[in-house]
Amino acid sequence: MSIELITLLCMLVAFALAVFLLKLPAGVSLMISAVTGALVAGEGFPVRHLVEGSFGFLDPIMIIATAMIFMKTVEATGALHTISYHMIKSLYRHPTIMMILITYFVMFPGMLTGLSSACILTTGALVVRPLMAMGMPGIAVGSLITMAAVFGEIAPPICIPVMIIGGGVDMPYVGFELPLFLASFPLATITAIIIRFRYLKEFDINEVLAKMEKPVSQKHGIKLFIPIFVVVVLLLLDRIIPQYMPHLGVPLIFLIGTLAAFGTGEKIDFYKQSSLAVKNAMPVMAILVGVGMFIQIMTLTGVRGYLAITALQMPEELKYVAGMIMPFFGSAYAAASVVGVPLVFVFISKNEIIVTSGLALLAALGDTMPPPSLLCAYAGQMVGEKNHFKILRHSLFYIILSMITAFVIIYFADGIGSALTRY
Amino acid sequence: MLYWTYILILVLLTTVVGIELFREKEWKKQMAYVMILIPFILRILQIK
Repeated sequence: MSIELITLLCMLVAFALAVFLLKLPAGVSLMISAVTGALVAGEGFPVRHLVEGSFGFLDPIMIIATAMIFMKTVEATGALHTISYHMIKSLYRHPTIMMILITYFVMFPGMLTGLSSACILTTGALVVRPLMAMGMPGIAVGSLITMAAVFGEIAPPICIPVMIIGGGVDMPYVGFELPLFLASFPLATITAIIIRFRYLKEFDINEVLAKMEKPVSQKHGIKLFIPIFVVVVLLLLDRIIPQYMPHLGVPLIFLIGTLAAFGTGEKIDFYKQSSLAVKNAMPVMAILVGVGMFIQIMTLTGVRGYLAITALQMPEELKYVAGMIMPFFGSAYAAASVVGVPLVFVFISKNEIIVTSGLALLAALGDTMPPPSLLCAYAGQMVGEKNHFKILRHSLFYIILSMITAFVIIYFADGIGSALTRY
Repeated sequence: MLYWTYILILVLLTTVVGIELFREKEWKKQMAYVMILIPFILRILQIK
């Protein structure tokens, strides 16, 4: 057995022990795993490399922190519940369109922050009561917001699993908008339509609206939506006219949006919202610091090269099986960093941007899976379901559908890539 | 100009994360906060 394989196994065992036995946060467990790897490989206690690794995902960490502050601020102004109120009031006669738009609405924070949990904790929380008031069972509502959170996580413009994989294979985060759109929106639409026809029956709109938070649009008018408008326009201008628009960077755009929120709606306590945002985003930010350290030590000890070479030698039929195990890591970021990176090498002969988008979809499904089943647990709390595995069981059909889609995306990566380039 | 704007953003985030670190009672979560602060503080101090 080679020293690289022994090191890798020790790192994985240390990670599993730290998470399951010591119940440490995943980020801290990744750091412990990295230290273990360095010690086993005879590199000593690698302070310099741990610090170097902690900078690996500084940009995504700043994006997550500032995007969460923006989302919490916009929520506090009343804009989000106003949107959900008017969406349901104006579309209840067209339930299929309403369900699709509700799903996109739940996805929205994930699209901006790259965090699946942000979808459930902000917009997801807003749609639970109205959907249950429409007569949908709690488990079905939980399943809908869980899957919307997964799709929101990989939908453009921000996709953290792709950034993690890209960081591991030195691939810039450029040109992923269309592939990620293809990997997320059609699935979200199909999921919404299936859930609508299975569970949404006749309902009394007045009863539903009575259970929702009242909109504040009459009090504040159109200016309520200025922060969202500012962020969307700045993000678009950055892509459409880069020659005229200075590259502000996503964190600064979110902070400009946050500043624009003052005076547009209900009174905001900036410190309270920032504090809540950091608390919610802390586990993911720590994971990203830990993943950076983990990848740095994998590189230092030769494990990364070993994985890449082994992956390249893998038989054709095993390659896809290896991809399909990604969701079973129980965490999108763990799957993206540990398996996602070597899998890009496995499919090196295909269009790597499309392959990475498909792998990101597989990785994102990991957030629904045990042991943590993070998204199902959050959704369970929202809909009052104590056994969150019921939500997972209910979501299995959509998870399998997403895995098949990811398989198709990876298998036909070259065809999809050239079709997207043509249009 | 943009560089210093980003340093200011980091100072803001470091302050919030730092306050949350001292408010947090559970040592396991405090460790996670410390991990996040390492790159923030080093970048602010221009060490890395």
